[in-house]
Amino acid sequence: MARVELKLPKVGLVMENARLVRWLKAVGDVVRQGEPLLELETEKSVVEIESAESGRLLELVLQPDQEAQVGDRIAWLEVDAPAVGAAPPLAAPPDNAAASRPSPATAPARPAVPGGAGTAGGERLRSSPVARRLAGEHDLDLRQISGTGPRGRVQLADVQRAVASEPAPQGAQPLSSMRRAVARLMTLSNATVPQFFVERTVDWTAVRSVRAQLLAGLGADVPRPTVNDFLLQAIARTLIAVPALNATFFGDARSPNAALVPASGVHIGLVVATGDGLLVPVLHGVEQLGVVALARRRSDVVERALQGTLRRDELEGATFSLSNLGARGPDRFTAIINPPQSAILAVGRERDTVVAIGTNMQIRPSSQLTLTVDHRVADGRLASDFLAALVDVLEGDAWHLG
Amino acid sequence: MSQTFIEILRRALDEAMTDDASVYLLGEDVAAGGAFGVTQGLVQKFGGQRVRNTPISEAAITGMATGAALCGLRPVLEIMFIDFATLALDCLVNQTAKYRYMSGGQLAVPIVVRTQSGAAGGAAAQHSQSLEAWFTHVPGLVVVAPSTPLEAYGLLKSAIALGDPVLFIEHKRLYAMKEPFQAPAALPPIGRARIARGGTDVTVIAYSAMVRDALEAADELAREGVSAEVIDLRTLTPLDMETIAESVSKTHRVVIGHEAVQNGGFGAEIAARIGGELFDELDAPVTRVGCPFSPIPFAPELEQALLPGMRDIVHAVRAVCT
Amino acid sequence: MYRALWRIRLFEGHVQRLAAAGEVPGFPHLSTGQEAVAVGVCAHLTDKDALFTGHRGHGHVLAKGSDLTAAFAEILGRETGLCRGRGGSMHLVDAPRGVLGATGVVGGNLPLAAGAAWAAQARGEPRISVAFFGDGATGAGVFHETMNLAVLWKLPLLFVCENNGYAEFTSREEHSVVKHVSAFAAPYGLPAATIDGNDLLAVHAAAGDAIARLRHGEGPYLLECMTYRMTGHYVGDAQHYRSKEELAALKEKCPIERLKRHLLASGIAADRLDAIAEEARLEVSRAVEAARAAPRPDPATALNDVYRSPALFGIPG
Repeated sequence: MARVELKLPKVGLVMENARLVRWLKAVGDVVRQGEPLLELETEKSVVEIESAESGRLLELVLQPDQEAQVGDRIAWLEVDAPAVGAAPPLAAPPDNAAASRPSPATAPARPAVPGGAGTAGGERLRSSPVARRLAGEHDLDLRQISGTGPRGRVQLADVQRAVASEPAPQGAQPLSSMRRAVARLMTLSNATVPQFFVERTVDWTAVRSVRAQLLAGLGADVPRPTVNDFLLQAIARTLIAVPALNATFFGDARSPNAALVPASGVHIGLVVATGDGLLVPVLHGVEQLGVVALARRRSDVVERALQGTLRRDELEGATFSLSNLGARGPDRFTAIINPPQSAILAVGRERDTVVAIGTNMQIRPSSQLTLTVDHRVADGRLASDFLAALVDVLEGDAWHLG
Repeated sequence: MSQTFIEILRRALDEAMTDDASVYLLGEDVAAGGAFGVTQGLVQKFGGQRVRNTPISEAAITGMATGAALCGLRPVLEIMFIDFATLALDCLVNQTAKYRYMSGGQLAVPIVVRTQSGAAGGAAAQHSQSLEAWFTHVPGLVVVAPSTPLEAYGLLKSAIALGDPVLFIEHKRLYAMKEPFQAPAALPPIGRARIARGGTDVTVIAYSAMVRDALEAADELAREGVSAEVIDLRTLTPLDMETIAESVSKTHRVVIGHEAVQNGGFGAEIAARIGGELFDELDAPVTRVGCPFSPIPFAPELEQALLPGMRDIVHAVRAVCT
Repeated sequence: MYRALWRIRLFEGHVQRLAAAGEVPGFPHLSTGQEAVAVGVCAHLTDKDALFTGHRGHGHVLAKGSDLTAAFAEILGRETGLCRGRGGSMHLVDAPRGVLGATGVVGGNLPLAAGAAWAAQARGEPRISVAFFGDGATGAGVFHETMNLAVLWKLPLLFVCENNGYAEFTSREEHSVVKHVSAFAAPYGLPAATIDGNDLLAVHAAAGDAIARLRHGEGPYLLECMTYRMTGHYVGDAQHYRSKEELAALKEKCPIERLKRHLLASGIAADRLDAIAEEARLEVSRAVEAARAAPRPDPATALNDVYRSPALFGIPG
């Protein structure tokens, strides 16, 4: 028997803290690994969290309505197997809790910039140990911080100043936590993922025709399939045909542990505009769904996205996203990849376009498709092949309608 | 009503002797009150057997106190000046400190050696030293240096009850210090420092008479907007690194002050330990304030010029807080 | 007592032998030839009486009644030695038997013995304290300080000086113009006597008288026992400072030989004496072998017992 602590897991890439809505189990209950244990309100939505371990709940540390940081202890479990350390949370969190007493043997958590490069004139960078530690915790470059200590030493106060935000300009309006989450995610994407774009035009004639027939035969209480549902199925089928893009990049490109992790099925995110910002709920196993089933699924998920009641697994697991800004959207646009996904398809607004077919001019409803691709996962050839195949499906008539 | 350090310390001895019939006092002139009057009146109360004068034989009386401690007494020996402890070193270092260890735990030496140190106006080089660092270097000895009358009261009682050989170092300039007597709720434990004053910007570590200077320095610094936390070590061996660590983790800056010669003084040990164990907490080098490397001169101007005090601590704090 | 003399003689013989073979750490000091003093004095002592000695203390410790195996094991530095291997040859302590200490710093034991006597006096206990020391210790200031204090406070302390004519490698004449240590006692008012330390019966008688005085509260006494060190200052001492003739003459004065002659003359059978010697030989051999087989101390315990409460003093300082 061993006491194991459960920590607040990180949901998504940029979550920092969350509020406990309610516990789904009580002290004394036996919990199985994977069983839903609590409801968390994150910046994005209310999410159900499963237990990381099997055992008996000994103590609930985090109380309903209480906020906690990623990595904070939220409960104690009694487990059978001897536990070496705390139960790992479901997503790998950075340990934000600062050590209260430094132990003599450990080095600083992250090595700060060594005094090699130095400040102006190639002089050795001088900094105090605690300043280095704080800079390391915040990923700050000591060389960028001016030191006010003796002989230009960078001291704690200097780093603290750098950490604190610049005072906002007149009239600044703070961001909501959701907007901040989106900002963090997009900055992360731009900074760490090499992205390139390929474009094609798609002719909607076929889809229009199939859709019209489908709608005619549908009952009144069934969600009506939209162009997005057809797009989702087309993407799914193309990812099956071009599986190289149905994977995510893992690790560090500079290290031998870099790898591509294939997805278990086709899981696609759909960009949804909410009142406050945007969400990307994920539809899992899209390849198994016909258009009508897909429509049902999609409309349910979008509804709950707008209400902020998505489940945790509905926010994770996709390799690909779809962004369609609708009738009032731009002619074309490039979307930014949602890490850790590998691609995102931006769909421009539908316009009647004059196209050349043979030697005739015809008017066809079309959109510009812009595919953004993670260059660590695929190169231009693969991306173009994918896009070409996707357009083939969209302009074809072989649809799973059920 | 305020009482002096001497009166309050005497009270501690009186109570210890009343509570425990195995406590005996010996030393030069102790029956006559002792060189500074601490044992005044005790022979009248407890009799000549329990409060005994000795000839000027530091070596022999330290040996006797040790031998008696091996056989069931709890002697409190007075060595008039710590400068004279040099005469008792063979016993203290080679025997008293090592008896428990060398006998494989068979025997203990529950003895308290009371002595006093420090400069006090014209006592000159052989009667003004602060030699505590020597004794912190001897495994088996406990070294205590109280900073106020009430601290001395509690620490002396704790020392007598401890069961290991304790060097209890009083300070000449503290003998006249006064405060109203108040029995503490609990006796201060040996080996635990106290926060004499809380603060956030710098940790000032001191003991004995220097604590008073550190507190005065803290007052002056507060007027400049610097908040100094003053730690009164109370015990040198064993050193309370836990209290020091907690403070340094908060302030990130340290000044250590003692009257003893800075070179090889006990502050060096504290500084080395902080540098080794609390490196990542430091925002500035650990700084010591101590006496320059010289014997204490006789003439008052010269003596004053050398002795470290409040001013030196203020300067040192300013230097680490730039 | 004949057996007691043999025990010490044989014990020291083993120490010498094993030290020469490299089995004994450090440098032990043998009391070979001085056994009569230890046996004669300790015959009058109980476990409650305190005994303090110096670096040449094996004989005193054995005579006081310490277990042979435990004593030898301590000299070998073993875990089951008297002091768990922490003290060694020069620092044998056996508290239950009143062996309260031995110090390697010459003269250092004297004031401690006085302190033990003081404690007995202060508590009104009938115990006495005995301090064994060599003539070399009389050069130490603390010897004089202690004599003064012992007389001043009328302590039940017996000073026993084994005057073997040498202090380390230097003969007495070079140490002091005062030939007999007992001469130092008079100026302090300390009653003293000088006797032949190799005559067990003389030692026994004189010590008996002196100790009786102490037990009656008549104050301290100094007994100077003239004797000879039959081996070097320590094992390995080649004794270049002694002439061959001198060393040959020593054998004549051996206390065991002298007691044997006396016992034979008073009618004890030679066989019986030989049998006693043989029993002692077996006893000592067995103890030595047991000590040699004793476990060595665990280095992990090296920091134990520096202080009373390890929790408080877990790390030095």
